[in-house]
Parts: sequence; C-alpha cells; structure tokens
Amino acid sequence: MNKFLLFNLCLFGLSFGAQAQLERKLATESQEVELVFHAPRNINLLTVEPLDNNTLHFSIMHTFGPLEGGIQNLFGLDNGAVIQLSFEYAFSEKFSLGATRQSRDKVYNLYGRCHMLKQTQDNKMPLSLSFMGGAGVNTADYRFLQSENPSFSERSSFAFQVMAARKFSEKLSLQVSPLMAYFVDPNPIFLIEGDQNLYLALGLSGKYKISGKSSLTMQWIPNLNNDLRNNIGFGIDLEAGGHVFQMYFVTSQLLNEQYLLAGGNGAPGDQFRLGFNVNRVFATGKRKSSW
Amino acid sequence: MTEQGNVVFISKASLSEFEGKSDLLQGLIDLDKNLLDFYLDLNTLKTGIGLRDRHMRENYLETKKYPFAEFTGKIQEIPSLELGQERQVLAKGKFKIHGVEREIEVPGKLKMISSQELSLTADFKVLLSDYKISIPKVMFYELAEEQIVKIDAVLKKK
Repeated sequence: MNKFLLFNLCLFGLSFGAQAQLERKLATESQEVELVFHAPRNINLLTVEPLDNNTLHFSIMHTFGPLEGGIQNLFGLDNGAVIQLSFEYAFSEKFSLGATRQSRDKVYNLYGRCHMLKQTQDNKMPLSLSFMGGAGVNTADYRFLQSENPSFSERSSFAFQVMAARKFSEKLSLQVSPLMAYFVDPNPIFLIEGDQNLYLALGLSGKYKISGKSSLTMQWIPNLNNDLRNNIGFGIDLEAGGHVFQMYFVTSQLLNEQYLLAGGNGAPGDQFRLGFNVNRVFATGKRKSSW
Repeated sequence: MTEQGNVVFISKASLSEFEGKSDLLQGLIDLDKNLLDFYLDLNTLKTGIGLRDRHMRENYLETKKYPFAEFTGKIQEIPSLELGQERQVLAKGKFKIHGVEREIEVPGKLKMISSQELSLTADFKVLLSDYKISIPKVMFYELAEEQIVKIDAVLKKK
C-alpha cells in the first residue's frame, strides 16, 4: 500500500477509494466578492470598497467651474478649482479613519468607515453594507465682516451615510446610500445654498466595467427634505499604474458630504462641471512573509 | 502534525519580481496505480499586496470562472523509494489553469522522510500566453510572461 495523501489544513477529510481524482473543493466556500467599486469613492460618494489592513489611501479631488463659459474659460478650468485632499487609514479590513480638507470654506472633516457585511460569490450574503460617519468644521476667516465671528460649534457640521451595494455581475455594481447632513448653524456667509440645519438625501452610485481597468460611473443624489436641485454626475474610472483616475461631470462643485447635500447644484447640461479624483494606496507596516 | 503543500508562482520581470504563494495545495500520489493528482484553489494565492491580489483574481486568473489550477498525470518510471533517499522522477500529465488544459512534463524529486511520509519538490515553467492569460501593458507591477512554479509538499500515507 504505497499510497500517500497530502495532509490538508481544512476540516474535511479527503477520502478516496479506488477512484482517480480528488474532488475539487474551494478553500473558502463563501468567497467574498471583491472590487465592487474601484476606490473608496465613486465620483463624490464613499463606497463599500474597503482598504487593506494598514494601508493609507490618499486621494486628491478637484472640481472646476461650470462648462457654460465655453472655450473662453476653457470649459470652467479658468474659474478656479475646489480641491479636497483626503487621507484614509485602515486599521483593519473592517474599519478605517479618514481626514479631508476642502478648499471651499476651508472645511476640515474627520470621518470613519465601517464595513459590516460583505457580499459573497455564492450569494449567501447578497450585498455589502458599510457605514460612514463624519464631523467637520469650517475654518474660513470671517473677521473682515462687521458681524460676530462664528464660534467653533456654529462652524461645525456632521454627516452620516449608510452604503448598501451589490455587484450584480462582473460589469455592473450599484450602491444605494441614504445620506444625512447636519449644520449646527447654516450661516448665510457659508458657501452653501441651503438654509436648514438638516439635509436628507438618497445617493445612488453605479459602476459599469468596460474593460479590465476602466469603468463608466454615475451618481444621482435626490434630496428628500428640501427644494435644492439634485446632484447628478457621470464619468469614467481608469486604473493605471497603481493609481485610480476618476474623471467626471457633476452638477456640484463641492466635495465633502455635508456641503454636497447643502451646497446646491447647477442645472444638468451647461452647468455641469468637470472634476477628477486621483487615488493612490500606500502600504504601511511590515510585509508578512508566508514562509 | 501540520504538514502542507506549498506552491509559489514566481514572476521575474525586468523591473519587478514578485511571488504569489499558497500553502493550500491538495493532492495525492498513488504509487500502486501510478496516479498523480494535485490541485490548488487560486483564490488562496497571495502576493503580499492586497490590491494586486484582487486584480490578479479578477482580471487575469478570473478565479470566479476558473478557481483551480490542476495537474493530473503519471510518473514516467516509478523509482524504488528507500528511506532518506531522494529520487529524481519525471511526471507527465495535464496541467490546467484559466480554463486551458495542456500536456506538460514536470521533473521533480521524491523522498521518503519516514515510513509514513513522502516529500515532493518540483518546479516547472508556465507561459501565460499558453493559457490565454493576457499581460497588462500599464500596471504598477510588471508581470513576467514566464512564470516559475515551485512545489514543495509533504504527503502522508493513507
């Protein structure tokens, strides 16, 4: 009986009689679905796409002026960009903390993202579910005004978002994200259009893969409790050399969640703005060797 | 007892070299019937960079459609194995990855470690284009067309 069988670490014992081949079994029965979206953000909205443990994700986001100036203003590029720098560090596969700064109103934001559920390939779990909560402060200088300079708390705003996403096929992923933003004091001197404290909206994000490294993207954010115009955006994600380039046309120039909901939007068409995000991931910590 | 089969795919491109490793190789050697059968769940290959792993799975190996790399074959001449002695063997058979099956020959070494255990080491080359795996042009890692596969396994008597 010179029979030898590879000892395996899995729980099932491999038994075979006189038949030939081993039964092919996956190491993990419920493989998690990956790459639902290309990056932690899809156009403006955060997604269910997690970061690897101990990695730092950096993203620089820009939006320009409206297209309506035409070639005279180089389709809005002359009007000055709103820029947001974003850093997000993953403490585990499930939890990351991020910090952003938006140039408009010089808003600093701190946020956390938490991934609760992961869609699996065998559909035992049909969707991925994540949460995001954030707080921001407007640090613009209003001392030139005769009025009172707003206090720290009057400058604060908060955002909360639930992201539920499903990869329907290799090509199509959709995400539904109920969003909430709260301004402690929606001061008229802030560069937002809304004058309420609380803003509710329903974000819809989509990704449609057109090749191994590029996808068409879209977002639509209808407001639920105000008369501001809804946000519409569409664009393309390109992966190249470890970066993800996201280029898009969008109706809002604003980039952080609170301002996205309160800032108002231009009419789709001439008032679209060109925008782009550049994403990069840096690995930190020690590389583990499996030997 | 924790033995395992290790597999390494080594990609040596001009600018970047990296390895995809897994220690979940499953297999059997039946010396009576002269049958070799090994398979690996490609989802378990790890290169050390999560994003690279995800791209490898989704865009190149397409593990959702083709989860396994498989080899089924025969040993050309079964050597007489004695304890502690290493013997060169040549295996011939079908190797299948990414849905493409090809006949290959794999030279390897068999060694009786004890009356209950047999060790196997082997390495062979895989040309990605032979298995319809296309190489990305613009990527932050360069993928070599020729991959070296190293196998290092300990088998227990059943």
